[in-house]
Amino acid sequence: MPTKASFSIASKSSRTMVASVLGTIALILALVLRFQLPGGELRAVSTIFMFIALSQAWNIIGGFTGYASFGQVVFFGMGGYFTAVVMLKYHFSFWLALPLSGCFAAIFAILIGQPLLKLKGHYFAIATLGVAEGMREVVINLADLTGGGAGISVPIAGKFAKTEYLGDGGFYLLFLALAIFSLVIGTIVSRNKFGYGLRAIHQNEDAAAAVGINTVRSKVMAYALSAFMTGIVGASYVFQQVTIFPERLFDVEITVLMIMMVVIGGSGTVIGPLLGALGLQFISEYLREHFTNVHTFILSGIIILAVILIPQGAVNYLREGIRTKDYSLLTNIRRYRL
Amino acid sequence: MSDVPILETRGLGRRFGSLDAVSDVSFSVPAGQILGVIGPNGAGKSTFINLVTGHIKPSSGKVLIDGKDMTGQQPWTIARAGVARTFQIVKPFNGMTVRENIAVGILYEPNGTNRMAAALNAADEVLHEVGLAGSGDRMPGELSTADVRRLEFAKALASRPRLLLLDEVMAGLRPNEIGPSLDLIRSLKARGTTVIVVEHVMKAIVAVSDRVLVLAQGKVLMEGEPREVLADPKVIEVYLGHRYAKRQKGNE
Amino acid sequence: MDTFLQVTAYGLLQGGLLALVAVGFSLVWGIMNIVNLCHGAFVILGAYIAWEMQAWIGLDPFLGMFVSAAVLFCIGYVIQRYLINLIVNGPVFITLLLTFGINMALIQAMNLLFTADFRSIQTTYGSNSFAFGEVRIPLVRLLAFLLAIIITLLLVAFVKHTRTGMSIMATGMDRGAARLMGIKARHVYALTFAISAALAGMAGTMIATIETFDPSKAGKFTLMAFVVAVLGGLGNMYGALVGGLLIGLVQSWAGQYLSGTWVNAIAFLVLIIVLVFRPNGLVGKAFYAARVEI
Repeated sequence: MPTKASFSIASKSSRTMVASVLGTIALILALVLRFQLPGGELRAVSTIFMFIALSQAWNIIGGFTGYASFGQVVFFGMGGYFTAVVMLKYHFSFWLALPLSGCFAAIFAILIGQPLLKLKGHYFAIATLGVAEGMREVVINLADLTGGGAGISVPIAGKFAKTEYLGDGGFYLLFLALAIFSLVIGTIVSRNKFGYGLRAIHQNEDAAAAVGINTVRSKVMAYALSAFMTGIVGASYVFQQVTIFPERLFDVEITVLMIMMVVIGGSGTVIGPLLGALGLQFISEYLREHFTNVHTFILSGIIILAVILIPQGAVNYLREGIRTKDYSLLTNIRRYRL
Repeated sequence: MSDVPILETRGLGRRFGSLDAVSDVSFSVPAGQILGVIGPNGAGKSTFINLVTGHIKPSSGKVLIDGKDMTGQQPWTIARAGVARTFQIVKPFNGMTVRENIAVGILYEPNGTNRMAAALNAADEVLHEVGLAGSGDRMPGELSTADVRRLEFAKALASRPRLLLLDEVMAGLRPNEIGPSLDLIRSLKARGTTVIVVEHVMKAIVAVSDRVLVLAQGKVLMEGEPREVLADPKVIEVYLGHRYAKRQKGNE
Repeated sequence: MDTFLQVTAYGLLQGGLLALVAVGFSLVWGIMNIVNLCHGAFVILGAYIAWEMQAWIGLDPFLGMFVSAAVLFCIGYVIQRYLINLIVNGPVFITLLLTFGINMALIQAMNLLFTADFRSIQTTYGSNSFAFGEVRIPLVRLLAFLLAIIITLLLVAFVKHTRTGMSIMATGMDRGAARLMGIKARHVYALTFAISAALAGMAGTMIATIETFDPSKAGKFTLMAFVVAVLGGLGNMYGALVGGLLIGLVQSWAGQYLSGTWVNAIAFLVLIIVLVFRPNGLVGKAFYAARVEI
């Protein structure tokens, strides 16, 4: 019925209102904190912003499109190394290198996406993991260009340093901007035609093609967008760290963290990965400080429990609970168990 | 109206290994007609639909839509040429509400809106047509079997196709639920839509089809008016077996 | 030429071990469609158990491996039955995340229990070797290789000719139908996973007799298992053998004739090419379709 539709649209726009009010408050708070926190805490919060951006990026290909990119870190590494190389060898300014490294990652995604996005399920996951591991080896072996296993340093002082080092406060703002950028992209995709096409592909590729969605192009574009968003974060991370090594920049754990944040928060939603990134990063930092020895244990325990008890993610769990008035975790377990 | 048929196939065929699932199927449908396609299990009916919509690539022959060669085109290209379909094994978008399921089809229609809000509004009209008016906010998983079939139908209607291929949309429906579906197909014809109905339910086919195509073992057994097709001994034989056909003959 | 033969021999011997590492991984993937990210941790855990058995009661590693296998069998059974079975029908990244979580916990446990220094199992016969003409073959490597082959063949025989084995295969082919036949899928899944873990434990013990190990190597073995399993075709046990030997040879040759660590890059390139062009593996056919059907 038309009345019902307009009602749900109205509730959607009121949700947008609430979200933008909360967002503004959060933004003001974040800007105030910039001047309140000591250096160490600033860096910790910057890391949270970084993971908000990364989890939103993974959500585009993994959450909306349903392709479990287990090698997403390759775009982080490629973006990072692109920035390091052009800043060191060609004396680019960071502000020029930043968008270029995103484009570099996106082009790489388009090239590998053509063949890889034909694979499904685990095969796609493993193939992308293979790409990430393989590219790390390539970077290690191209020592002339990348510094190899010994690492590479971005110039931050002297005549070749086109962009001055940003410092804790500067990087705080940079990562905040990246987080906001990724949230905006995520929100747009979650509501527009492209995003609905991706969700249709996620749920049934044949049916999606039958209603006129160019599934191949949509998937490759989603992968490229996700790569761009990951690449610029990698670039910023490199500038912040100054000296970087292939092991760190292609660390599979970064991919796993992104996926965990998205899955635990609620994949295919915008708010889910945001909450997942905030929650997991806070818990992880807290545990590292207070339970140094067993913090990995507790973290892995949280992952295992979360995956088993709320496999659809916190946000989706709450949404379904509100719809069906059923908050039982047992119903949740029944969904995927044998 | 021109006299170019909306769909024509020439010698269409597809092999799977050593099995000829469909071979040498040639026929044409004039715009505005309802064509019924029948055949026993394994006759190649679903493969035939998949060949037309591009979900399976033909190994031989041609598919022409509006006289234009569309052989081997991707499903979305064919969909955008105004061809919609349902799947025998229904494929709803399970993570979206029923209304959103329809809205996606509307968004991706070539002349359709690009705005989600408008698409959601338009979706309600389609839901109303197929008798799912009150279910827009439900999830496909919560619908009854019959309603999931209606949703499958509605998804195909969403793009306002000129040619609609229905792959057993009435399977699993109770006899009293078949009537409304037939009415809907007739109303589509009145609107100028060409419909190809693949169906097991004979009565349904006879009731709506202008012409009937019989497939058996991947080949065209015969084509003609519904009544003459059903009375044909060859058709009776493939459906009910050799002995039954003989006995029929003996009784005459 | 001598170097070439020597390198080839080493590659084949190493390949046998890789096959044993991968065969269980491939079984689990093929039967249950689970990519088990803690497989490498099982390998390392098997090595530690055998090491401790030798240090503790002087048990020879070729006997100690049965202790490793038994312990890992139990651990594997419990993990599948009470954890993985709970989400086995979920989307891909759910199973990946769960096994990754288990992997984290196992590795941390090993770090705390055994300390993370490099270890290896020393035996009195460890430095013995044969000479076949110009080619020298270390005894331990040969033993490990032969055992790997025998165990793989035994596994194939078990799956093909015993009731339990056949119920595993049946469950892999069609779980619904298998359950209708009265097969207890939960138990069969747990059993399959347990067998896979036990094989990993044996492989780990043998690896410990020829090279050093520590918990951080777990990821490497999981990745190797991936590559070998994909090359061989999932759930295809002979395939794992072929894949293992192939990777062993390629690694050995590339290590000899290529500079740096290009060999690793090439291994991944091979993996990706195989996935894209022959996603069902080089030999035979996998149970689960690899491609989107458009």
